[in-house]
Amino acid sequence: MNGVHDLGGMHGFGPVNPEPNEPVFHHEWERRVFGVAIAGFGGGLYNVDQFRHAIERMGAVAYLSSSYYEHWLSMLETLLIERGAITKQELDGRREQLSRGAK
Amino acid sequence: MPVVVTKDFVPELVRTGGSTRVHKAVAPRFRVGDHVLVRNIHPEHHTRLPRYARGKRGIVDQDHGVFVFPDTSAHEQGEKPQHVYSVRFTARELWGPQASERDTLRLDLWDDYLDLVV
Amino acid sequence: MPDHSHTAPPSDPELRIKALESLLVEKQLIDPDAVDAIIETYETKIGPRNGAKVIARAWVDPEYKARLLADGTKAIAELGFTGVQGEDMVVVENTDEVHNVVVCTLCSCYPWPTLGLPPVWYKAAPYRARLVRDPRGVLLEFGTRISDDVEVRVWDSNAEMRYLVLPQRPAGTEGWTEEQLAALVSRDAMIGTAIVQPPAQGAAS
Repeated sequence: MNGVHDLGGMHGFGPVNPEPNEPVFHHEWERRVFGVAIAGFGGGLYNVDQFRHAIERMGAVAYLSSSYYEHWLSMLETLLIERGAITKQELDGRREQLSRGAK
Repeated sequence: MPVVVTKDFVPELVRTGGSTRVHKAVAPRFRVGDHVLVRNIHPEHHTRLPRYARGKRGIVDQDHGVFVFPDTSAHEQGEKPQHVYSVRFTARELWGPQASERDTLRLDLWDDYLDLVV
Repeated sequence: MPDHSHTAPPSDPELRIKALESLLVEKQLIDPDAVDAIIETYETKIGPRNGAKVIARAWVDPEYKARLLADGTKAIAELGFTGVQGEDMVVVENTDEVHNVVVCTLCSCYPWPTLGLPPVWYKAAPYRARLVRDPRGVLLEFGTRISDDVEVRVWDSNAEMRYLVLPQRPAGTEGWTEEQLAALVSRDAMIGTAIVQPPAQGAAS
């Protein structure tokens, strides 16, 4: 699809700005997203092409204004529901429950 | 059917991975040295053909062999195995006459992304 | 309302992954110990020191180098580096005529078994957008200047081949051991945004 992920040749993104000696993960939640995503892939919950296409379908504004592992998080939420591993109701319910519990 | 990856299986999973190479004899449409024109397609489905290469001319540098086709695999439409080629493009072909006259770029392109330039 | 004074509410991504992971675990679709093992593997056990060993071996052993360039997957596997996101490897050699540099414009494809997980800059829009169109400008940001009489060859990893750059062996390393040579090879040199600098004068041999 002609999504904004197809970045080759675009202008306007500014300098590359490499971070010296950066850690593999910058936040604990990134670790969990990575681990869950690879476990799901290894277990056959989705294939690599479905994985990528789910990220491509995030929407241009969401894609450009979120970080890399937020892309993976969006992929998990999309694919796990689409492929029937969980339901939207279950996910919404659990998020609500966790959100209330934390206040 | 999905399976559950256990802790004991993780080293095996990491070490083996999941190549999408298909070990089937599929006839290639192109040979090394062929001049090709990248198709000007704009599918709304998943594709691995970047916009910057569409409608551009290149030369087949290498045949990587037969692989799953992502445009169908992403949509439960089967593997449609076909050859993938390393295709080389000059910088000027991609980016215009102001680009470097020496630099080049290579993309890995499936049979279905290309046509032969006769 | 109970006073959970020890923590602020989880940030949005924390809450989202907690919700997902807890549901998947309850439904027995993933094993949390496996998730921990995957994280540990890629955070601590796999990284660019692997690729550096491949490069050093190629520098000292011309027959290994020939095998590496002919069939990257097989030759890299000789050193024990195989698997996820490295199943189909191609090694590209820097010479006096050609400087190679690798990107994945469409996402973040990168050779995990030899280089570990990619750095943020490799996966972000500026590099992915600009490298294919202005590789020399991007390389200058990394402090790498390629002479005008050298071809810059960009590899966009849009399929499942994963590319590893074999940098040129620097002068002043004659007689060095593989271990000493591997220590010179940076991750960026194996992506192509850097070259391997000659060792400082009087460096230990």
